[in-house]
Amino acid sequence: MTTILEQLFYSAPGQVVAGKLGLPEPEVLRRGRVGPAGPVATATLAGSSLGTDTVAILGVDTIAALVDDGDELPAYPQRLGALVVDARGLQQLSELEQLRAVLRPAVKGLQPSGRIIILADDQVRGIEAHAVRQALDGINRTVGKELRHGATTNLVYVSADAEPNDLTSTLSFLLQGRSAFVDGQSWTVRSSAAAPPISERPLADKIVVVTGAARGIGAQIATVAARDGARVVCVDVPAGGESLAALTNQLGGTALQLDITAADAGERIAAHVASRYGEQARIHGMVHNAGITRDKLLVNTDAARWASVIEVNLAAQLRMNDALLDGRPGGLADDGRLVSIASTSGIAGNRGQANYAASKAGVVGLVRALAPELAGRGITVNAVAPGFIETEMTAKIPFVQREVFRRTNSLGQGGNPIDVAETIGYFLDPASAGVSGQVIRVCGQNLVGA
Amino acid sequence: MNAPRSAVIVGGNRTPFVKAGGAYAQASNLDLLTAALDGLAARFGLAGQQLDEVAGGAVLKHSADFNLTREAVLGSALAPTTPAVDLQQACGTGLETVLYLHNKISMGQAEVGIGAGVDSASDAPITVTDGLRRALLTANRAKTVPARLAAFSAIRPAQLIPVAPQVVEPRTGLSMGEHQAATTARWGITREAQDELALASHQHLAAAWSSGFFDDLVTAYLGISRDGLLRADTSMEKLAALKPVFGGPDGTMTAGNSTALTDGAAAVLLAEQGWAATHGLPALARIVDAQVAAVDHTSGDDLLLAPAHAVARLLARQRMSLGDFEFYELHEAFASTVLATLAAWESDTYCRDQLGLPGALGSIDRSKLNVNGSSLAAGHPFAATGGRIVASLAKQLHARGSGARGLVSICAAGGQGVVAILEAV
Amino acid sequence: MEVRELASMPSMGAQFAKAMVPSFHRGPARIPTHAVRVSRLTQDRTRLAGYDRVCGFTVRDQVAPTWLHVLTFPLHVALLSDPASSVRLAGVVHVSNRMRLHRPVTADEVLDVTVWVDNLRPHQRGALLDLVGEIRVGDELVWDGVSTYLAPGADVAGEPVAVPKPEFTVTEPIARWRLPADLGRQYRAVSGDPNPIHTHALAAKAFGFARPIIHGMWTHARLLAGFEARLPQTYGVEVSFTKPILLPGTIGAWWRPDGEGWAAAATTPDGAKPYLILRVAS
Repeated sequence: MTTILEQLFYSAPGQVVAGKLGLPEPEVLRRGRVGPAGPVATATLAGSSLGTDTVAILGVDTIAALVDDGDELPAYPQRLGALVVDARGLQQLSELEQLRAVLRPAVKGLQPSGRIIILADDQVRGIEAHAVRQALDGINRTVGKELRHGATTNLVYVSADAEPNDLTSTLSFLLQGRSAFVDGQSWTVRSSAAAPPISERPLADKIVVVTGAARGIGAQIATVAARDGARVVCVDVPAGGESLAALTNQLGGTALQLDITAADAGERIAAHVASRYGEQARIHGMVHNAGITRDKLLVNTDAARWASVIEVNLAAQLRMNDALLDGRPGGLADDGRLVSIASTSGIAGNRGQANYAASKAGVVGLVRALAPELAGRGITVNAVAPGFIETEMTAKIPFVQREVFRRTNSLGQGGNPIDVAETIGYFLDPASAGVSGQVIRVCGQNLVGA
Repeated sequence: MNAPRSAVIVGGNRTPFVKAGGAYAQASNLDLLTAALDGLAARFGLAGQQLDEVAGGAVLKHSADFNLTREAVLGSALAPTTPAVDLQQACGTGLETVLYLHNKISMGQAEVGIGAGVDSASDAPITVTDGLRRALLTANRAKTVPARLAAFSAIRPAQLIPVAPQVVEPRTGLSMGEHQAATTARWGITREAQDELALASHQHLAAAWSSGFFDDLVTAYLGISRDGLLRADTSMEKLAALKPVFGGPDGTMTAGNSTALTDGAAAVLLAEQGWAATHGLPALARIVDAQVAAVDHTSGDDLLLAPAHAVARLLARQRMSLGDFEFYELHEAFASTVLATLAAWESDTYCRDQLGLPGALGSIDRSKLNVNGSSLAAGHPFAATGGRIVASLAKQLHARGSGARGLVSICAAGGQGVVAILEAV
Repeated sequence: MEVRELASMPSMGAQFAKAMVPSFHRGPARIPTHAVRVSRLTQDRTRLAGYDRVCGFTVRDQVAPTWLHVLTFPLHVALLSDPASSVRLAGVVHVSNRMRLHRPVTADEVLDVTVWVDNLRPHQRGALLDLVGEIRVGDELVWDGVSTYLAPGADVAGEPVAVPKPEFTVTEPIARWRLPADLGRQYRAVSGDPNPIHTHALAAKAFGFARPIIHGMWTHARLLAGFEARLPQTYGVEVSFTKPILLPGTIGAWWRPDGEGWAAAATTPDGAKPYLILRVAS
């Protein structure tokens, strides 16, 4: 049964009603490998040139950032595509004023789907410096909530020894439409020996395995990986075989029908890769996307409901990783990528989803523990945590809660599966070698959760 | 001098098989075959690839489907420049298309291709009577209106009733089941033995499905992801309760130990071994040898025992004995067909008089027979059965290890049989 | 906008009869201001297979976008037989259509189908109006489409809007299809569109056609089916119906890659004049 409230919201003609209720019309976000139309302003606050050097490599039009240092707020002559602020080296609370001074004109002059990107030190010394480091995150999150028309802000903590090459994939991702639904987030990029130059087809001839690929977000992940040049192995349960085959044929990949909870699932994935792409072939990217929900309040959750979610969403991944990391033919390559799907439910908790939240928070734990362990092999381990993404799975969420999710984020809308897929594409990029152990929320800065 | 060429079975794909009139009732041979090719293309990354040839066929075929396989290729993900051929040898069709490609690859006429088969008993062609057909053709040839009217005037009302496809042997007027009932009686095959074989078929197929054996052999179609005829919970009691359908009231052949009319399609990918290696394709097994034989059922021979003859000749040529195989895949047209074939091989008299051997060919280890189920449980879409068996057997042999051998035996209408030896690569 | 929930798809008989009674409305044209919706609609696989066969599609689990349009059509009829509408289906001409499949839809999926009327605007010969449909699975928009109808003689204030003529280049047809006299009946059986101008000579004559004409949406679907194996998983497609096709008849058809998508047309057998011009954008 559709509720009257839901009718009002959901009929597309009901947009009129939504407007009358004071809910903003969602901005159409810039998406894909498309940079901002306007120029990119760069600012250096404390002597670090990493930001400007990295932007220079990207080959985008840059201008000097305007600074609010007087009575009259300076205005950009044209709509600004993005502001990249290099705040590395900031030590004292008084220096935060410099950040305010460059942000103010930029926030005012930013074009729809514009970007603010703040770079900061990952490691700092001294009490005040730590306070400054954390203050930056508060500024970032607040600006994210104040920006309008699909513009976003994100904060990147950078290790002291990082070079521009380590940062190009991150800045490219953030400037382009690929990061459309990533807002108010912060994560860390470290130096790495192995970061190659960025490319329009970074995954060319690399093998990427996606579980749960037959439909929804998984199909988008496989599609984006194929767009970026990958040879995709699309994995799903046999029941989804016809859709899986149709997608695989369109992407020019290979299909592997498999229940990932099978004890030998990892072995079978490796065997498939070795048999299709040769004994020497290795997986570049393994994307653990398959997941299920079995929602009930904890008081109504029995052992079976509990176990199935933990098994599919977490335990199966652990087993597959063990097999794929043991050096066998068709396993994960050194310099490879492991990507998992966490969830804002796992980070913030969600009523009726104790089992799901457990599995997804578990994914975060897995990522943080495994990343340092595999760093020596050049393998990165990361996760995305989708917020409200409009897919079949989320249709099971009761309506009122759904509308809350959809609207209560800084972008005023739900994300699309492609937003999750693009963030995964960023992790898969060989140029993202310095990004590991990170969990990036793709949630439009959902107000729920930390 | 070219290097010796070896054709290998790369893998296979089929639709789940379902009972005629069931979930695929609205699907045509063309739809089913296209689905089987698309699933195969996805499994092996063949989308957009130009293969050397696709050989396919159907037993029950509309005249409009004269180029069935080529049309399926055009509707599939394969490159539209992939040529195709239609072949037909009744229930031997599926195995014959595989042999056709195997031989072409071995001879250097092709590097990679598909052998396939499909049948939809749901979509069987209904034809007009012979009298009506002739009258229509005459009318078509007539040059004047009166001549055309004269042709039509020759039509009699009874001729207007459409004719369903004949499942009887044209020269004996007996259906395949009636022929087999005579064979069953002649060889003294008991009801219990037939039901036991049927039960084993269901149990083996059910176990194979549960273990994921078909994960890389089958692709779901129209929402169906498992064989529809499979009864995992059947039992000797349930089978014993069924009434005989062939051989009169005292007959032993029931719906439980005879194959049902079935819809489905199957395809097998073959390639030259070196070509497969350089193109990132696995090699499961190769075809060692094959043989076709026929019996004269118009003079009283057992209609479906031709494979017994074909196997005898094949073993003689290969200097092998019946016990030399890891697996036996004897197509279960009827449970009693398999049992009569085994009995024939064990019979000194039959082997001496009919097969020209000094004595009995021997017996097989029944634990090696149809280990993942066969047509009684899976169903039998006539031309698709060969592809089902070849792909499954190739996978079993490959898992057993290089050099393992298996025997395929398929009986066909017209008193024919086609058999082959597969060997794991 | 008010959304009126219908318990099931309206049966076409009586509803259609109402929709076919020409409007004697005088004065400014009116269109319904409410949307109609049928929730939890299950798809009939048998009818779908029949549709695939009549239109030339391979029977698959994933459905053609034109099939989803067919599922919305009873709601077009419901809206254009509603008392709130001065525009009746009788006499309106389907001039163009655009739809987009946002993701593959399979035959087992349960659909929420909503249709409303929008964008009533003056035209030299009357008025244009859009029947806008959307299909969701749960929350997810999987298909949307806009059917633009011309209501001759309808009175709408304002300057007539110009409808740009779709681009057409004379092309040698790839295919020549013979359309049998009973094709309208065949398509009626699977589409549920009972408009007699597609099946009865007298009805066709009443609307000025020498013989019955085939449904434009059949031609649309048949043309897509001509190159279905080359179509992507999801796409948008736009057609302009430029001229009706009389039954029985023979038409030409061609398709070719065009930029990121495809261009195609159904034409006279010699390719000189278009019946339908189609563009696919992925």
